[in-house]
Amino acid sequence: MPAIEASGVTKRYGSVDALKGIDVSVDRGEFFGLFGPNGAGKTTMLRILTGQLRPTAGRVRVLDVDAVREPLRVKSLVGIVPEVESPPSYLTAHEYLYFVGQVRKVDGLDARIARWFQFFDLDGVRTNLCKDLSKGTRQKLMLAAAFLHEPALVFLDEPFINLDPIYQRKLKDFLADYIAQGGTAFMASHLLDIAEKLCDRVAVIQDGAIVATGTLDEIRGSERDLETAFLRIVGA
Amino acid sequence: MAGLLRLMLKEEFRVHTSYSGRTMFLAFPAIITLFSLAIAVTSERLFAYTPLSDAILLLHASVFLYGLSVGAFGFLGRQYLERTNGTRNYLVAMPGILPMRLRRTFLGMYVRDAIFYVALLLAPATIGLILSVPVTQFRITSIGALFGTALLSFLIGMSLSFFVSALYMRSNAGFSVAVAGIAALFAAAGTTRTIPLSWILPGLAAHQDLPPFRADVVGAAELVLGGLGLVGALVAGAALLVPEQFEARATNVREVLPRIARRLRRFGRYDTLLSKEFVDLLRSGTFVKMFFSFVTPLLFLSFTAWFVRYGLQVPVGFNTVFYAGMVGFFGVILYNWLNNVDATDYLATLPVSVAQVIRTKLIAFLLLTSWVGVGFVVLLAWLNADTRFLWLAIPIVLVTSIYIVVVTAYLTGLRTNSFLFDPGVLARFSVMSMLPDFGLTILSFTIDRDLRFAATGILLVLAILVATTYMLLKGIDAKWRGTEFGE
Repeated sequence: MPAIEASGVTKRYGSVDALKGIDVSVDRGEFFGLFGPNGAGKTTMLRILTGQLRPTAGRVRVLDVDAVREPLRVKSLVGIVPEVESPPSYLTAHEYLYFVGQVRKVDGLDARIARWFQFFDLDGVRTNLCKDLSKGTRQKLMLAAAFLHEPALVFLDEPFINLDPIYQRKLKDFLADYIAQGGTAFMASHLLDIAEKLCDRVAVIQDGAIVATGTLDEIRGSERDLETAFLRIVGA
Repeated sequence: MAGLLRLMLKEEFRVHTSYSGRTMFLAFPAIITLFSLAIAVTSERLFAYTPLSDAILLLHASVFLYGLSVGAFGFLGRQYLERTNGTRNYLVAMPGILPMRLRRTFLGMYVRDAIFYVALLLAPATIGLILSVPVTQFRITSIGALFGTALLSFLIGMSLSFFVSALYMRSNAGFSVAVAGIAALFAAAGTTRTIPLSWILPGLAAHQDLPPFRADVVGAAELVLGGLGLVGALVAGAALLVPEQFEARATNVREVLPRIARRLRRFGRYDTLLSKEFVDLLRSGTFVKMFFSFVTPLLFLSFTAWFVRYGLQVPVGFNTVFYAGMVGFFGVILYNWLNNVDATDYLATLPVSVAQVIRTKLIAFLLLTSWVGVGFVVLLAWLNADTRFLWLAIPIVLVTSIYIVVVTAYLTGLRTNSFLFDPGVLARFSVMSMLPDFGLTILSFTIDRDLRFAATGILLVLAILVATTYMLLKGIDAKWRGTEFGE
């Protein structure tokens, strides 16, 4: 049974078709990347898969749960890193992870928070309000919050944005390890070099439709790298 | 400045229409026009009970208070600059990345809102009065005088609020001193009359110098010019107080969330969300804003009742039961504040529904503020030496406040401020709030004549309100299912 199975996903805003009948299937243990130009529909697709947004039409099953009918159950099973790093303004960094852990009813919460604080070196901002944190630190918090309950599947929307090279490297290693341990990841991003290092399969979305899908080798085809192939596919 | 202002007006318009839709939003001033027309046409009956001079006093005091609530840009702008609005960003924050002056954008906010709310409320209300002329025979010049002087009262309220909130951006101590000073000024003018009312409401004083009251046009013109000077001075002072380089204060705080969450364990699946509500209210300073925005209309109500009874010698039976009904209906202000503390976008990534958050805010309201209403009614009863009907007044204040907040939550969800500009929502809200309020007010006036009749009627109204509250609470899930955070 695939971790993600979506068919005919359509999203219409007034007269604009943001998504035009998209089909996606992601196997368990796979790292899947969704790439495309700005405004192609990556974030909309990710929000629909995670139950944050209702599709106009189409079916979505995530970890064998209907994401349209039971969005809360999907959110309780998966981890989500949203496009915009916006933790609650008036909680401290530590309180935010405590809050997420309580909402998700996570066992051994203190130890898990301590581990993520150590991973991202957050002790210096433990009692700072989230509204006063830098973008990079907020992004680290959103990442920690997404993995706090050790989900079997994570959805990542531009997870490397705002991170410095040290933490980009650290996160890449962590994600590779996460997949090796049996986890599944669905990532929307522009960063093709990272995709080349992490993704098993990718899809390219343009104007709300999937225009190419396959393994990295299949997408590259005869081109020398993924970037050149991507530019050819989207006609840039 | 004109270009910036045009963009800010577009931005404000788009923010509002994004919630209620273009047509519905544009229908709002049309409804105000119709409402004003209806009041004007029935004004003969109204003036039989409330003399014109009192109606004018109430009008100016109301638009002044409205201006006060609109003009707190220091608080609002600070929120924008600190990005507590989640994914949304506004023009006022642009000086951070563009060669623009922060003072100018704040000034732009003042002018924008002055134009926006005049166009949305004062102008349509005036058009309603003009349309009534064939029936009421009101003079156009009188309507013009009313519009001009009411506009001045509105601008003074806005400017005062702008000045004090800009002071807050500079100094908490300065802000406290200014608030205390202004409160003392109003107390002196409103109660002891040691300061003439014209000092603080020159628009009202100017209006009273014009026909049909007096015909001192020169005196009125002097007052209007003085008032405009005061507006100019306050706005200039506020603009100067806006710091050119805004830097959010990095705040280290003591961790309280786990402790509060432990205390709220009994609230089951709401405990964590509820404890976050309390932490937000404490740290954002919203408790203080809520307190003042609740107490101000209550003081205004008390003053009006006192003025009618003792100033005008009108024998209206403003008893404790009457106050209880009125106090309960002010609960909507508090619920609105609960929705304005922080953005909720991040909740979209957690297994939490919009309906669950709405219910959490209702619980927070119940825990935080029901005692304020009850306390106020008990205090009023004691001050008026009218404790006979407290046994009836306390259930009234509790039931009506919970009822009105549940109605507001059901109709507006997490976007109270925006949805109340949707004429469809506003119409339903008005019917659901005014009908029981009128019923309770009328019954409270009959209580001294026929206690059994009044008490039976009031208990019947309360029973209906309890049943409606229960049904609306049950309906919140269905009504807000499928709504996303940030919508």
